[in-house]
This record gives sequence, C-alpha cells and structure tokens, in this order.
Amino acid sequence: MPQFQQHASWRLEGGGQVIDLETAVKDGILGGGGLPSGKDGTLGAAAEKLDLKKTIEELDSAAEDVPSVFICPISLEPMVDPVTLCTGQTYERGNILKWLSLGHLTCPTTMQELWDDAVTPNRTLHQLISAWFSQRYLLVKKRSEDVQGRAAELVQSLKKVKGQARVEALKELQKMVVAHPSLGNALADSGGVALLSSLLGPFTSHAVGSEVIAILVNLSLDSDTKASLMQPARISLVVDMLNEGTIDTKINCTRYIEMLMAEKSFRCEFMLSLSLLVALLRLAKDKRHPNGIAAALSLLEAICSHEQVRSSLVSVGAVTQLVELLRNLSPEGSVPALHILDDLSTIPEGLSALKDCPQTIPNTVRLLMRASEAGVQYALSILWAVCKLAPDECASLAVEAGLPANLLLVIQSGCNPELKQRAAELLKLCSLNYTTTLFISKCKLTRTIQ
Amino acid sequence: MISMLYFVVESMGSFCSRQQPLNEVDSDENKQAAKIDSRIAEETKAEQHIHKLLLLGAGESGKSTIFKQIRLLFQTGFDEAELRSYTSVIHANVYQTIKILYDGAKELAENEPNSLKYVVRADNKEIGEKLSEIGSRMDSPCLTKEIAKEIVTLWNDTAIQETYSHGNILQVPDCAQYFMENLERFSEVNYIPTKEDVLHARVRTTGVVEIQFSPVGESRKSGEVYRLYDVGGQRNERRKWIHLFEGVTSVIFCAAISEYDQMLFEDDTKNRMMETKELFEWVLKQSCFEKSSFMLFLNKFDIFEKKVHRVPLNVCEWFKDYQPMGSGKQEVEHAYEFVKKKFEELYFQNSKPDCVDRAFKIYRTTALDQKLVKKTFKLVDETLRRRNLIEAGLL
Repeated sequence: MPQFQQHASWRLEGGGQVIDLETAVKDGILGGGGLPSGKDGTLGAAAEKLDLKKTIEELDSAAEDVPSVFICPISLEPMVDPVTLCTGQTYERGNILKWLSLGHLTCPTTMQELWDDAVTPNRTLHQLISAWFSQRYLLVKKRSEDVQGRAAELVQSLKKVKGQARVEALKELQKMVVAHPSLGNALADSGGVALLSSLLGPFTSHAVGSEVIAILVNLSLDSDTKASLMQPARISLVVDMLNEGTIDTKINCTRYIEMLMAEKSFRCEFMLSLSLLVALLRLAKDKRHPNGIAAALSLLEAICSHEQVRSSLVSVGAVTQLVELLRNLSPEGSVPALHILDDLSTIPEGLSALKDCPQTIPNTVRLLMRASEAGVQYALSILWAVCKLAPDECASLAVEAGLPANLLLVIQSGCNPELKQRAAELLKLCSLNYTTTLFISKCKLTRTIQ
Repeated sequence: MISMLYFVVESMGSFCSRQQPLNEVDSDENKQAAKIDSRIAEETKAEQHIHKLLLLGAGESGKSTIFKQIRLLFQTGFDEAELRSYTSVIHANVYQTIKILYDGAKELAENEPNSLKYVVRADNKEIGEKLSEIGSRMDSPCLTKEIAKEIVTLWNDTAIQETYSHGNILQVPDCAQYFMENLERFSEVNYIPTKEDVLHARVRTTGVVEIQFSPVGESRKSGEVYRLYDVGGQRNERRKWIHLFEGVTSVIFCAAISEYDQMLFEDDTKNRMMETKELFEWVLKQSCFEKSSFMLFLNKFDIFEKKVHRVPLNVCEWFKDYQPMGSGKQEVEHAYEFVKKKFEELYFQNSKPDCVDRAFKIYRTTALDQKLVKKTFKLVDETLRRRNLIEAGLL
C-alpha cells in the first residue's frame, strides 16, 4: 500500500489502518462486501453523494450486513445524522436528544453520568456512512440492471428458440423472477408478460407450459393480461397441468387460477370445468404433500362461493371425499373444508350426499371440539342442516358420536352468542326423540351439567 | 380349461426338475428349457415396453385418417405401388359420391315441400341415371375424361348443389367437394394419387389393422415404441372382441363433432352424434380399459367451424340446451367449448371412482391436416411419457 500522511492514526479491527475514505470503503475493511472496482479502480470516485436518508430507505432489504458501527444503539437503525456524546459514544441525533429531553443525563450504552450534555456532530462517521451506502446503492443498481438486462435477453431468446432450449430459458427466467421481485414490472413494460402469455396455447407442451405458469404466478398481472389468459384453450392447458404435473406445478396452477378468479371478468360457468374440480379434489387428497392439500382446499373454497358450480362439485363426489378428508386435517386446516361442505349443504344434492355419507356426523362432531370459532360455525351449520333433513336417522347417529357433550362445551365456551344459540337449538333437535333421562344417560352427562 | 391344466402340469414338471441335484442340471434338455424360458421372458419384457394405442369411434369419425397420418408422419409413408393401389378406390369413391347426390336429389324432389329446387335439369337426367347405375356396381370402371366431364356437368346442376348443401339426411361423404374439385386430375391417364388424395380416400375398415412406430424426439434419441390399432367403426359385435384389447396404454376415441345433424349409414333414423355418445359411454364402462388413458379427439373441426353458423347445435338432442352466443369466430369457439363440456360431463358420469387416476385429455383435431395431427400427437406422446414416469415413481 502506498505511504500516505496519516492524519489520525486509529486502529481498526483486524489491524488495518484507514488510508482514505474511498479506499476504506472500496477494499471492504468495514465489511462493505467486496465491491468490484471499475476499469480504472475508481468506482468510488464516480459515486455520487446521494441523499443518504433516501438511499438507506431504498436499500432496506440489504439491512443485514450494514457495519455495526453505523448503527444507532438506541434505534438499531443506520444513522443519518450521527452525533457523539462526551463519553465518546455516537447516536442518531433525534434519538439521543429525545433521550436527554426525557430527563436522562446518562449515556445510554455506558450508563455513565454525563458531565457535559453537548452533542457533537460526528462528521467522519457521517462521511463513512454516506460513502458506504452510496457504494452499496450503486452496486445494487448495477446488479439490478444486470438482472434486467439478462431478463430482457432471455425474453428475446424465447421468441427464437424452441423445444428444450425454450424450457431452459424459461427456467432461468423463473429463478430470476423469484429472486428479484422488482423484475415483474420490467417484464410487463418490455412486453415480456405479453410474450409469456402468447406461449400458452392449445399446442403448448407441458414442459413449456409449467415453466410459464411458474413465472406468471409470481408476477402481479394487469386486468387486460388476465382477461387474455382466460381464453378457454389457455385455461384447459392449465387444468391439464394441474392433473399431470409435479407437486410444485400443481400448486402453481392452483394459485394461478385463484389469481385469475379474483378478476371481475372471470366467468365461472366457462372456466370451472369438471376436470378442474376433479384435479383439485385429487390434490386435496394427496397426503404426501400438505402444501398441496392447503392450496387445493383454498381454491375449492373460493370456487364454492359461486353457486352455479356447487352442483358440479357434488356430481364429482366432492362431498364424500371432503368428509373423509376431515379426519386427517388439523383444526386450522379443516376450516376451508368445512366451509366448502357448508356451502354444498345449501343445495339439495349436496345436502342429501352429506346425509348419505356415514362419516359426515362423526367427523364433523370430532372437529367441533378442536376447531376455531369459524370452524365451529361451519360445523354447526352442517350438522344443523343434516339433522333437520332427517332428524330421526341423524339424531341417534349424532348422539352416538358424542355430539351433545360437544354442544354443551360450545355453549359454555367464550364464543359469540349466535353460535351458542345455534348449539342450543341443535341440542334440542338431537334430544327430541329421547326422554330426558335416557338422553342424559346416553350422553353420559354429569348431574352438574344437567 | 384342459390346455390350462396341461400347462400347469408341464410347469410343475419343470419346477421339480430345477430341484434336481447339481450333476443332473447340466443335461441338454434343461439347458434348452432355460433358453426358451429366458427368450419368452425377454420378449414379454420387450412387449411391455411397447405402448399400445387403440383407435375407437363410430363409423367415419376419422380413425383411419389418423391411422394414415401416423403412417405418413412416423413411417416411410406410402410408396408408389401403394399410392397406385388407391386409384381404383378413389375412382369408386367418385362414382359413389355422385350416385348418392343424384339419388338423393330424386328423393328430396319427391318428399320435400320445396321439391322444385331438387329437380335435376332435363338434359342432365340421362347422365344422372347412367352414373347412378355405374355407382351401384361392385366394380366401377376407370374414370375417363368423358365420364369426368359428365360428372362435372351434373355436379354443377343447381339441383345437385342444393342437394349437397342439404346433404345431412343423406349419406354424402364429407370429402364430396374434394373429389368433385379434383376430377380433372383424377381422370388423367397416368394418374397416381397424391398423399392428400389418399388421406381423403374412403375405404370402410374391416378387421383390425396395426402399425408399429417410434416418434423420434427432437434430440434424435429413440423415443417410445408405439403400436397403433385401428378397428372398424360400424355397428357389429364389438362386445365380443373388445376385451382382446385389455390393458392398452391408451384409447384414442375419435368423435366427429361435425356430425350433429347427420344420420348413421347403418340406420338412417339414428343421429350420428347420439350414436357416438352411446358408444363413448359404452367404451368408458368397459372394465378392460380401467387403467388406460383416454385421449378424446374431437375431430372434423374444419367442417364443424363452417356448419355451426348454418345449423344450430340444438338439432341434436344431446345438445338441446345449447344457447348460441356471439358471432363469427367467437360463436365457433363458444359452440366448441359447449360440445367439449358435454363430452367431459359424459366422461365423469361414466367413470367409476376408482378410475379417477386415469388420464383424460381432449384434443381438437382435423385429421386431414398433417401439421395439426403431428402437433397433437406430440402432446399425446408427452402425456404418455409423463404417465410412465409418474407410474414409475420418478415424477
């Protein structure tokens, strides 16, 4: 290292010495992260003195590796205007002044009493902080431009290549989009999103289609794009991939459709085919992948809010499959399933399917005890509907399953009054066929609860 | 039963012989038996790697055209000898077509309310009678220039044109126009049919035909091996032979969606689409296909596209709840999606719960378009390969 006149000798950790500000930051003595130097080694010299506060805010995501000496001990944020006390400790001006104004006359970190309440601006530290953040800002900018440049390259290549090369390009683009969320806007502006949409068609292979969906699902798309994606051939393609893909592809497709459904222009009679419903039910039953189950149930829940689709859902055997599923779901996980079954109970076919399924009452009763309030609401609603339909059959089944005891727990719990009312009505319905004594003994209720 | 017993006894014998002490194992007989056993095992293993595809569908749904397309795409195609062999078929098709049109015009003239428009011009009547007679013969004569001219004259008769455009209750083949337009070429002295001509040629398939092929992937590695079977489509004793196809990898069911207003060849009171519907239901219920993937080819889309504007879908009972929407291309797409949905509903209504893992995909096809068939088959190939990997637990 060249010999320079040292203005102040002060040791740093690791034994190095500060030569000049730019070198210190450039060579990463403060852990600046090995910034690449420009052609003439003066990346630092080109750094503009940007507004520090704005820069810090923009770089918020890189907060982990900010050198600790730049952090205010009070707020744990990087200091924009560092000031030093007579004890030699440095704080953010606003924070330490507030501390002092509250009447404390001590140094927050050393707990020493202050013999002098003056705060001195620490210009050296300020310059170091400014330089470090400027450098970092430029680096991130450059990287993001690199990323955008690479993404643009990939999009261009997609126009030309086919087959396996296309799949590889899409895979790389997908990784980039996940790693750099800001890429989404750049893609939309440059026509990349439109290109990706155009790759989806009736003859798109699974390999290409699954990668395109994996990208699109990570972007926020505008209404026009979504409308064009709702063409029947494109939806069919997604449904096919939901049926045949890996678990990741299936989950992506599920989330993708959920995203499209949120649009006003979504026409459920056309978009929600039987194949889709069957594929979702299959995904919901796949015990190997809990994420898949959750995603499928979430979409089915959203689908069920459209009344026209409910009878289709019942016709593919959803009721039996979902009731069986209840047994294995956690209390939180069961809420969507209960919601779906509750929605299906509003149509005659759904209700009779619920009644005919022998597991409906036992599985629902079992959840009453463990579910959250939302779950309890749906469970009660289902049980009420089923018992109302066939009181004689169901009342005894319910009693066998231990419903009355659970109902009493609900009534005594801290849930809202409507639910308690519901539970009470249901209890009455169950007890209609039994004399009081018989009912109580059947339910093994204690005298006190009586 | 007896043969089974014999087999059991035989194998018991060989089983016992394997338990013989070491010094007797070296005998020639045992070596031979072992060799045969391993040959059988090898061939069985090889067979298992061949994916068998079965083309099913009602008559004239396009199965044989698909079959021909696969030959053209993945085998050496038709050599000159084979192309020549189609000449007489095409000539016969021409005679059949014009006969159907002429006889049809006469029938419509007698029965329809606006009968006048079906009355053939006086000076064409003689030609018509002559051609009708030729068309009814088992062996039709060669198509000469003179006869071709006469056919053209008759074809251009307004009554015949009217008949053609209202041809749905008659058995006018779909490629009538193609034949009539190419008459000059067909009647050349040295006419050799082109691939296009062969694809349009109409021969009723009897028995079973099969081809074995391997669609070569883009990386030029050898792909999967497929064997495609084509069986006749007309009503006959299907239930007797269908179980021979147990365990095929995939059933490719062809349904001509343009036929919603046409009647069967075998029974002209039965709507063709209804027949297709019943056949599809029947096939779905067969236990021999429980594990097979189902590829539904909704075929003749090119004809469907044009027909939808003229003839509403509701004329077919199955589609009676259809509500038209939009116009032009939008209308076509809407109609197509409706038909597709109907088939989908039919599939799920007729598939038992334990068949739910069966692959089921619907493809829009126009069997005469080679590029489309190639693209479609690429997708079918991809699906079947993925299925393989899934079943092997690799995906």
